Amino acid sequence: MVRAERRRRAPALAWAMGMGLVLAMGMPLFWPLPAVAAAAVAPPPPLTVLSWGGAYERAQQRALFEPFTDTTGIPINVARYNGGLAALRRAVADQDVPWDLIDMTRSEAMAACAEGLLEPLSSSLVAPAPDGTPPDEDFLPGAFGRCAITHSVFATVVAYRPDAFPGRRPTSIADLFDQRRFPGPRALQDTPAANLEWALLAYGVPREELYRLLSTRRGLNLALKRLDSLEDLRWWQAGDTPTRLLAEGEVVMASGYNGRFFDAMVNRGLPIEILWDGQVQEHETWVIPRHTPNPEAARRFLRFATATERQAELARYIPYGPSRQSAARQVSTHHGTGLDMRLHIPTHPLNAKRAVTRDDDWYARTRERVGEYFHEYFREYSRAALFDTPDEASGAVAEPPAGDKALGPDS
Amino acid sequence: MLRFLGLVALGALIGGLAALAAVSFVAAVLWLNDVLLVSPRGRMMFPHPGALVIATVLVPTLGGLVVGQLHRTLPGRRPHTPADVIAAVQTRRGRLPVREGALSALSGLVSLGAGASVGQYGPLVHLGASLGSLGARLLRLGRSEDNITIACGVAAAIATAFNAPLAGIVFAHEVVLRHYALRAFAPVAAAAIVGHVIATNVLSRGALFHVADTVLPRPWEFAVFVLIGGLGALVAGAYMRSILGVGRLAERLPFPPSLRPAIAGALLGVTALWVPDILGMGQETLRFATIAGAFGAQELLLVLGLKLAATALCLGMGFGGGIFSPALVIGTLFGALCGTLVGALGGAQDTFVFYAVCGMVAVTAPVIGAPLTSLLIVFELTGNYALTTAALASVILASPIAAQLFGRSLFDIQLAKRGLDLSAGRSRAVLQDARLHDLLSHDCVTLPPDQGVSEAVTRLSRSGHSEAHLIDAKGCYRSSVTLADLEAMKEDGDGERPVTDCPSTPRPVLGPQASVWEAMRHLQEVTGEAIAVVDEAGTFLGVVYETSIARAFLQHSDALRREEYGAG
Repeated sequence: MVRAERRRRAPALAWAMGMGLVLAMGMPLFWPLPAVAAAAVAPPPPLTVLSWGGAYERAQQRALFEPFTDTTGIPINVARYNGGLAALRRAVADQDVPWDLIDMTRSEAMAACAEGLLEPLSSSLVAPAPDGTPPDEDFLPGAFGRCAITHSVFATVVAYRPDAFPGRRPTSIADLFDQRRFPGPRALQDTPAANLEWALLAYGVPREELYRLLSTRRGLNLALKRLDSLEDLRWWQAGDTPTRLLAEGEVVMASGYNGRFFDAMVNRGLPIEILWDGQVQEHETWVIPRHTPNPEAARRFLRFATATERQAELARYIPYGPSRQSAARQVSTHHGTGLDMRLHIPTHPLNAKRAVTRDDDWYARTRERVGEYFHEYFREYSRAALFDTPDEASGAVAEPPAGDKALGPDS
Repeated sequence: MLRFLGLVALGALIGGLAALAAVSFVAAVLWLNDVLLVSPRGRMMFPHPGALVIATVLVPTLGGLVVGQLHRTLPGRRPHTPADVIAAVQTRRGRLPVREGALSALSGLVSLGAGASVGQYGPLVHLGASLGSLGARLLRLGRSEDNITIACGVAAAIATAFNAPLAGIVFAHEVVLRHYALRAFAPVAAAAIVGHVIATNVLSRGALFHVADTVLPRPWEFAVFVLIGGLGALVAGAYMRSILGVGRLAERLPFPPSLRPAIAGALLGVTALWVPDILGMGQETLRFATIAGAFGAQELLLVLGLKLAATALCLGMGFGGGIFSPALVIGTLFGALCGTLVGALGGAQDTFVFYAVCGMVAVTAPVIGAPLTSLLIVFELTGNYALTTAALASVILASPIAAQLFGRSLFDIQLAKRGLDLSAGRSRAVLQDARLHDLLSHDCVTLPPDQGVSEAVTRLSRSGHSEAHLIDAKGCYRSSVTLADLEAMKEDGDGERPVTDCPSTPRPVLGPQASVWEAMRHLQEVTGEAIAVVDEAGTFLGVVYETSIARAFLQHSDALRREEYGAG
């Protein structure tokens, strides 16, 4: 059978090779030589990547952009933004998109995709793991959107002062609400996100059902009741408040972004630890905008930057969790301090056992209503001190811009 | 041996198909619930409250309309349920029809998708069973194999839907086969395992209940669990009676049957505006009922009553769907109510989930007639041994009390109403289902009533029979006379009198649709060669010989014994 096929194929192969030879020999006759030489010498057009700036961009430079240029010869220009889709909307409408790739939160990527601002992407675009595991199994669930591929994950977690609880340490997110065993004031972000999830987790609700239950009035009330049961609760709005409150000893447990806590622990030596149980993960994705000048090179970069080795390398600069399990397992020490980064990576198996993935779709459609309900409840019923200061109270309900979460020593 | 291994392989294949069907069915229901604004998540993410109110009423109503039209194409104008599966297996009839299976699944899908308060496991079980039966038919296998492949489909459906392979195996034996022959066990187990593997790889779900490992109930609480079992039996009875009662009431309503589900849907939708917990399968309600403090006691009572009423309304008025999921919700609410009351009396609140699970098992086990399956579901879903022993305590009273007061299960009660009594075991069911018409014989002597005795003796002697049956000019059966009696008359010199003067003991007759069981009963009263078979007008159709009745009885018993006790 095989032999028969080979025999049939053989003449075709010979024919193709012959033609190739003829073409190769004939080519110089038809194509002026100088043009070929010029094409080989001129550098390929650079890629423009839109990203968040700061320490985050520096980490990407070292772990992704420079190695990409070294490998392919394609230089990379970086543009900076603070999230938001307005500029992209305008650029796509004008059919003049200056960026080839954008580093975008998944919730924004979903919205942009729905508006038709992005190229569709498929999981076949990325490379399999070094051991051959296909991408669909290697990446986190939900990492492949219609137009976006998650490259890293950051988390909202609870940090605590170990010195406040001599002889025991919190191990479960339910301990956030257990002020009998872990006495002391708490600080939580002044938004429903993460708080509602934690409250229901504390009742023993499995993480898969959180958003289904939060979709009922009963579930919302149950979660709010649990939050309201906390005594000495402080609400924070700015991303640096939790570390300040913990540092000053104002509270013994506080929610916050894992990057901020990492910064405080590593660069400022703050004696805090992270409770990874119940961490609420958010996805950071790569997207390719419509009408991009170099879609092919952009895809090539995307494949390069999402490879296991590159993801593991990026996590040696900043505490962002690789979206591939093969990369999360490879994470080693911090460049510079030599710190074991496994303790700080949201997706490392040690930390991700009971991680909650934020349901971006759900929040995108319910944020206003749930936020209103949340604030209404605490305005009317709360015994807790609701707002730090009067002028903070008038602040917007909306979450801080995503750029605020892109952390780093000096962001 | 090879044949047996082949059956195991067939079981695995059917298990795979049934599991894939179950996975797709569940996914389709979830998708419909999201799109049609039935699921809380779908409702929450929909930003227009006004349109939501309209959808809440309109979706179940239109769903009911569609279901009503679907049912018009089904024989009996009702969807097929696990009860039909049980009937087919218990009577060894097998051969579940494909078209009815597919249409019933579709009816269940539309009902569940539109938010009717019905269960999903019934349609899944029937779908799996239909696939199994189809496999046996395509391979031209016998009835026993057909029964086993049906059980394979059932086991795979349960194993997949609950992700509980042991429960799937036990359910197939406990509820459908009602025996534990090794010959059936291996294929059924293979099907359940395949279903389990598919479920773990495709459906990712959290545990149905979560219990902190350290909590153990106090010794006195086990007494409460037993008591909950006793009371749960009454709740189960109320549930089953309400479904049947609404069904009877619906017959008397002045609406055509195809419109009844729509009316039920409209009522359900309007009530759901006030208490949305009663819409759909109620998985969120089930979860909340396991959380102490999620409901107040009065709220529990209200939701429990409304969920029970809504389910009875939907199923009684003709929506397609199962009885199990609503029973889970009602039982858990009942258990939560007991837990709340015990808590209010000073009991501990940290064991609340034990009460919820006890109530759940106490209500569901009697409804589906499967105490072991219910226990295994708890065990496999929670992986918690303490919880399983608590559930065991509540089953002790629940199942027997409900069986004494109401019947073995809702399926059995429904089948009894349709004339199939399974309370006396399977052998009786098989014999009741086996028809006489195959045994009907025309090899007999018939005489007109005015025939002379002497001539009758001659005819009988030559035919080799010892009885003659008197048939009048219209072809109607009159009586039977024996050769001995005729000889006696002839001896007495009455040879010229008509045979109708011959003394004869009155004999029972059988209808053409009589069962072997009925014929066996009559045999006790008859001393003779054969029993006459007549139709409703009294026309003589033939006779059935006692020997052939006895042979049929032995054949059926043998087949049953081979099926139930055969090792391979």
